[in-house]
Amino acid sequence: MGLVSWLFILPFVTALAVIMTPAGRSDLVRKIALAGTSLHLLLTGYIVYKFIQVATFSGEGVKEALITQLYLVEKITWFESLGIQYFVGLDGISLFMVVLTSIVIFTGILASWSVVERSKEFFALLLILVSGVFGVFVSFDLFMFFMFYEVAVLPMYLLIGIWGTGPKEYSAMKLTMMLMASSALILVGFLALYHGSGLETFDLIEISKVHFPIAFQNWVFPTIFIGFGVIGALYPFHTWSPDGHSSAPTAVSMLHAGVLMKLGGYGALRIGLYLLPEGAQNWALFFMGLTTINIIYGAFAAIKQKDLKFFTAYSSVSHCGFVLFGIVTLNMIGVKGAVIQMFSHGIMTALFFGLIGMVYGRTKTRIVTEMGGLAKVMPWLAVCFYVAGLASLGLPGLAGFIAESHVFLGGFIGNPWTDATTMRVLTVIATMSIVVTAVYVLRGLGQVFQGPLKEQFKTITDATLTEKISTGVLVATLAIVGLAPWFFIDLIEGAIYPLINRLSLNANTWMTF
Amino acid sequence: MNILNMIIAPELIVALTGFVVLITDLFIEDKKRHILGPIALIGILLASVSVCNLLPETSSMFGGRFVFDPVAGWFKLFFLLGAAFTVIFCWQSKAREKLPSTGEFYSVLMFTVVGMMFIISARDLITLYISLELATIPLFALAAWRKGDKLSGEAGLKYVIFGALASGLLLYGLGLLYGLSGSADLLVISQTITDSPALWLAGALILAGIGFKITMFPFHIWAADVYQGAPTVVTAYLSVASKSAGMAFMFQILFGIFGNALSEYGWLIAALATATMTLGNLVAIVQNNIKRFMAFSAISQAGYIILGFLGPFSESVPSMLFYLFIYVFTNMAVFGVIIYYSDTTGKEEIDDYKGLSRTNPAIAFVMMIGLFSLAGIPPLSGFVGKFFLFSIAAKAGYHWLVAVAAINSTVSLYYYLRIIRQMYMEPPAENAKKLPISKTLALTFLLTTLAVILLGVIPHVYETIQTQTTNWLPTLNQLP
Repeated sequence: MGLVSWLFILPFVTALAVIMTPAGRSDLVRKIALAGTSLHLLLTGYIVYKFIQVATFSGEGVKEALITQLYLVEKITWFESLGIQYFVGLDGISLFMVVLTSIVIFTGILASWSVVERSKEFFALLLILVSGVFGVFVSFDLFMFFMFYEVAVLPMYLLIGIWGTGPKEYSAMKLTMMLMASSALILVGFLALYHGSGLETFDLIEISKVHFPIAFQNWVFPTIFIGFGVIGALYPFHTWSPDGHSSAPTAVSMLHAGVLMKLGGYGALRIGLYLLPEGAQNWALFFMGLTTINIIYGAFAAIKQKDLKFFTAYSSVSHCGFVLFGIVTLNMIGVKGAVIQMFSHGIMTALFFGLIGMVYGRTKTRIVTEMGGLAKVMPWLAVCFYVAGLASLGLPGLAGFIAESHVFLGGFIGNPWTDATTMRVLTVIATMSIVVTAVYVLRGLGQVFQGPLKEQFKTITDATLTEKISTGVLVATLAIVGLAPWFFIDLIEGAIYPLINRLSLNANTWMTF
Repeated sequence: MNILNMIIAPELIVALTGFVVLITDLFIEDKKRHILGPIALIGILLASVSVCNLLPETSSMFGGRFVFDPVAGWFKLFFLLGAAFTVIFCWQSKAREKLPSTGEFYSVLMFTVVGMMFIISARDLITLYISLELATIPLFALAAWRKGDKLSGEAGLKYVIFGALASGLLLYGLGLLYGLSGSADLLVISQTITDSPALWLAGALILAGIGFKITMFPFHIWAADVYQGAPTVVTAYLSVASKSAGMAFMFQILFGIFGNALSEYGWLIAALATATMTLGNLVAIVQNNIKRFMAFSAISQAGYIILGFLGPFSESVPSMLFYLFIYVFTNMAVFGVIIYYSDTTGKEEIDDYKGLSRTNPAIAFVMMIGLFSLAGIPPLSGFVGKFFLFSIAAKAGYHWLVAVAAINSTVSLYYYLRIIRQMYMEPPAENAKKLPISKTLALTFLLTTLAVILLGVIPHVYETIQTQTTNWLPTLNQLP
């Protein structure tokens, strides 16, 4: 097994190790999980190092590339007669997403340090889920991609249903049903691509060399985009998200909002935009309209929320709207913004949900109006919360600013296939959400952390060591991406060129490469 | 002439085993009756070895009336596997599920297996019909095996009445075919029939007859009561082997006779598949008895398998055989747990499974894997099998059908999750304790679970089926 395969094998092996531990040893269980994820962080670091060594970021051909260049590829024939391969590799975008996932699961394990009830199953399921997520990010065979996608989605049912709070069974079922039904659309799209290409292969790179007829693209693109859009919280299919997030236990919310929702954006980009560029051109305006509603609706809905988790969940709906919005701007800068937004939102929401879990663990309430003045007793958590909030409203210096400015710039620049005026109007409307975000973030933070401290909260203590590490890592990541974005932009830029170049390709010259 | 190389050897071995068990049963003391199970198992094992020995050969006997080809070989393996599981579960039942006069039970079981094995090898209408009856009539007796039990009697009676009606319809249809073509030979029929109202009538009657066997909508009505009333071991056998036998019959008729016209009537197959899976899934949601529940689940599974008839042989046959192969293991894993649980606790409502993951985590895990595989969750084999079947529908251009089937999978996940919820989320009843399990049963569970997990990940089984059946032609009786 090569390096990249270990990205999803390692969590799975850790999950097996967790299952093997003797009963009643929850301390051992979480130590094994932590060791596994720490090792994973090191592995990811090493892979980034290797990637930078082998990948070409500039020079001949990179800017004109039409086919995604993969690195650290492993390819083995699997179901030979059906053209199914074991095909993993990395390009800049998937590497970026792998880094995100690796950080989030590491902090997620630390944030669930206090889970003792059936902890073995909890950590095992959590690790299996991430293993599926890593699988999606590194697979370049549609069959594998779909397989890992469902592996990533299903453990959520048990994780929310068993360890959740509130109406957990309802939320778990709603989430599972909506995501599984959306995967039906994805399946339809994948099989159409497989048979439509006429190549008898599920190899993404091979399929990308085919130019599909416009009529075909016109129905497959929306099928795939909506299929992935559901998990990316596309309006009006976002309704599973607030329920699911508010019922889920801390680490699960972190992973779900931080990583799982990114599968939607990633899939829409990698499959939708890459394989069906002309479908994307024809549908861009429609989906831009939907995502604008996403952004605005999510932000306004967040204002009304009293529960911190609902508050963050709706803010996630709004921020995930930026990802899809960036993708359908169909230009370099917008798509770049979408990818950075996936990363920055992933880290930011993981931080939010982690902090909410920690605050809830102390105050036993998530209702904003019942709290107040908490900054006095938990300064560390308060500072982290502020950082997350400021990143969410796009303060320069943090990752959110880089992402949102790219997305809006992309929307304003426009593309040759969409009416420029409409696009600009939509972009302006979407930009206004920043103001709304500032309102709900600052007001929410003020109510929780400022003002007089309530009597019953006076004995509360600040973050423990594990919590400090967990939140510290996330805050640092937000700042690093915000202050030194060029490193990450270099990483993803090379991978975005092929996606964009295909859009302006003349259909007649398509089959020649 | 080496008897083991005769292509009829597997059938002979199974029939012989039936007689050996029956005769041993006559002369054996009561205390030693438990060795009958292993005897039957050895017979099944020998027959399987003989089938594997014959694969992937193609040859015929009795003037081309009896053909062994790779497709027949694989079907025979499914029947034998299904029977093996049934024997193991029956043999390991200690309490509530223990059947009276097990010796006779095993021998009757063997005779239905022989009938099923003949169905897929028969190449003319008369042999085909006789083998179908040989497979079905003992099943009526098996369904009513518990003489004193009202539900079991009801199941047997319903099964007989519906079965007889279906046989009548089928026979009428086959008779019309004979009248239209002047021959009972499948190849001759497929070459001589032309489109006419009488052919449509024949087709409709035959479809109704087969529809009954594979619980296709709207001929599925008997399934729930029979599945619930029959002894659970028999239900397991019905859901797997009997369904495969119906599929074998459908192979013979649809591919053998109507093979060339099949692509034109894709809409009909698509409609039947849609109706069958949707009805099965929707009705399964409201069931409380786990056996009834599994009956509707099996109906919806039949709907998925029918999708395979949309493609050309070379692609659909491997996928359908692969799915049936997976289905045998998956359904038997689930039924194994149901039988075991019913046997040790006497309970068979879905709510009775609550907290099973606390008292018996391993058993709950087997059940969960089985149910997830039925729902088509990766990386389990059920997912891979369904994926291949859906791919056939997509290739034939039925993209809407893929969507319908996949949404149906989601619906099915909803009700499979009901059981998983009971097992994993509800606390166990107060007096619940760890249930004992015999070593044989534990080993069987282990092997089936491994099969359910690995068959999807390891490509060899599918590739073997694919290479062996890729040149398959449904009517091969022109061979010497």
